[in-house]
Amino acid sequence: MSIGGSDLDRAITQLRACRPIPENQVRELCYKARELLIEEGNVVGVDAPVTICGDIHGQFHDLMELFRVGGDVPDTNYLFMGDFVDRGFYSLESFLLLLCLKVRYPDRITLIRGNHESRQITTVYGFYDECLRKYGSANVWRYCCEVFDYLALGALVTGAATTLDPTDGPIADNVNCELPDSEMDIEIETLNANGEIMFRYARNGDSQSSAASQANSNPASSSPIGPTPSRSGAAGTGATSSANGSTRNDTGAILCVHGGLSPLIDSIDKIRLLDRKQEVPHEGAMCDLLWSDPDEIDGWGLSPRGAGFLFGADIVKCFNYKNDLSLIARAHQLVMEGFKEMFDSTIVTVWSAPNYCYRCGNVAAILELGEDGSNAGYQRRSNGDRGGGGGGWILGSNAGPNGTNDENRRLSSVLGESMQKPRDGPGRRYRVFEAAPQDSRGMPAKKPVADYFL
Amino acid sequence: MMTLNGAPVDATAPGHADTSITKDGFKITTRKLPILKAGPIEDMTKRLGIAPPEMIFGDNFMRIEHKPSGWHIEFNAFDALDRVDKTGDSMLKVSYSKEWQQNRQKQFEDIKEVVKPFDWSYSTDYKGSTPDTPALQPTETPIPLALLKRPDPIHFFDDVMLYEDELADNGIAMYSCKIRVMPARLLLLGRFFMRLDDVLFRIRDTRVFVEFATGEVIREYTAREEKYETVRKTLAGTREDVLSIMRDPNRLAEFIPVVEKSSDRVVLK
Repeated sequence: MSIGGSDLDRAITQLRACRPIPENQVRELCYKARELLIEEGNVVGVDAPVTICGDIHGQFHDLMELFRVGGDVPDTNYLFMGDFVDRGFYSLESFLLLLCLKVRYPDRITLIRGNHESRQITTVYGFYDECLRKYGSANVWRYCCEVFDYLALGALVTGAATTLDPTDGPIADNVNCELPDSEMDIEIETLNANGEIMFRYARNGDSQSSAASQANSNPASSSPIGPTPSRSGAAGTGATSSANGSTRNDTGAILCVHGGLSPLIDSIDKIRLLDRKQEVPHEGAMCDLLWSDPDEIDGWGLSPRGAGFLFGADIVKCFNYKNDLSLIARAHQLVMEGFKEMFDSTIVTVWSAPNYCYRCGNVAAILELGEDGSNAGYQRRSNGDRGGGGGGWILGSNAGPNGTNDENRRLSSVLGESMQKPRDGPGRRYRVFEAAPQDSRGMPAKKPVADYFL
Repeated sequence: MMTLNGAPVDATAPGHADTSITKDGFKITTRKLPILKAGPIEDMTKRLGIAPPEMIFGDNFMRIEHKPSGWHIEFNAFDALDRVDKTGDSMLKVSYSKEWQQNRQKQFEDIKEVVKPFDWSYSTDYKGSTPDTPALQPTETPIPLALLKRPDPIHFFDDVMLYEDELADNGIAMYSCKIRVMPARLLLLGRFFMRLDDVLFRIRDTRVFVEFATGEVIREYTAREEKYETVRKTLAGTREDVLSIMRDPNRLAEFIPVVEKSSDRVVLK
């Protein structure tokens, strides 16, 4: 049986009910998906508006909650930054549903690869076992792994608006102060799952009358979607006294990758040149993009684990400047508040698996970027897309990997003051949500079972 | 039979505030809350001097208090992590580290600095936090297993996670506590479990036994450690599901030899 048209819609219906589809349909689906993905570049171009999501990890019912909060496909455009599988109980249904949606609405949903989309990792962390359990053979796992090899490594979002249209919604209960005037340029807005405003931040800082800073003094704000205590900005945002969002100019593009940057990659074009159709290697640029983490350090550092890179604020700012980016969105790390902006809002971690592993009690978030209707906010400058433009030493780096750091230093020294003024961040609306109610997952709340352990 | 002095048995759903039970002057309390938020994590990072694990249940604890003597033992994440090596002297390396670094160091000679080295496996020899007096003294008296094997009714049971880290998808490190309270005695198990894929297994158990009538407390610490490959080979010969056993410290313990053992004891009046 071939999967297409009505069959595909039937498969989607079945998967939405969290029921696996037959093996032959999976084979067909994966084949179709590969045909589609092979046409995508390593860095997929995506137009705003788009909703950016982080790790899912097989938490199917929470993925349904995500669609409820963020809007359904194809009404909302989605970009998922990998780690669809492992850890949770429904990796299979989650990944196959996303894949079905990709095949059904290719322009509405973008999937990029996470470090868990790998044969080696899925063998250890659950997806392989799940396929074996649900189908009695490893065939489905094999089909899925072949799809993993074709997933793009990143996405570049263009056409995002610098300011948000303020949500005309009610104000969340725990917000007891005035929000910035909606006449102002709203840069950041945080909404809860009911669409109520939890936090709003106007560009240029002064008018931030955040819900968070007020609620900080409220010791009762232990609500899981409450703001972080003892910080002057909203939970997760870089909008603290030291980092008042960003100042206004036009916004650049937004690069989305699962992990982060690589010392081998100083331009987006270099990502485009990688041969991605393989198992995630243990080293090299492709590995770094899926594995590395930002950290409060200067330059590059080695993870104490003996493999993997960490990168500091200077690396991000330099990379963003060179590539005309206003923001890097990445996933890969659990953050209790669902999202975390770092380095003067030049990079954000988005995490979309609430109550991770069914026991962490964290909230999840998705990041909505609006479309720049006026076309005034976004001024296209070459970011290396389609290999054009990019003259001079900033983009057309002909230095090899060894030159990367020297060049960075040179760049910093040459740019000097201007490096301190990153491009305007896009208007960012974070929707924060909790885990789906327990009764929707068809299994009882997990209580510890008394046992006679010794 | 004794009555339930306090919380009902089923009041141990995830995310509960304190639950407790009191037996003959021994008050047992557990707390289970979500992982810490960014602010408290920063505070803890400062106080510890190392980055806490990815999943840090910093509000959780399990405590046994003996009011008449003022003695107590508590298991909490901060104290457990405070005993992790913060110097980097005992740092492990992930399995593919050599291969990774050989290639890297040729390419990036100036990226040599290991960021904030410490024992990122979060291995701890934590045996619970106790007051200086009355102090536990070394003993040869073992925990009376026969008494614990009897199917006495369990009046209170809970398991509490203190921390967990996925070692950046190179395995798992976790500290968890379990307690069961029977009419005449209790057993608490605090367990550190670590699997570094293709490198090493560690299980470090602290068992606390309390006999309510006599006020006797016995604490046993047992550390097990073995190379990953050795365990894998042993398991390969057993027709068992190797991967699922490797996730289960209860099953693994018999395949991993004891490398350290100690006991201490106190009788509370």
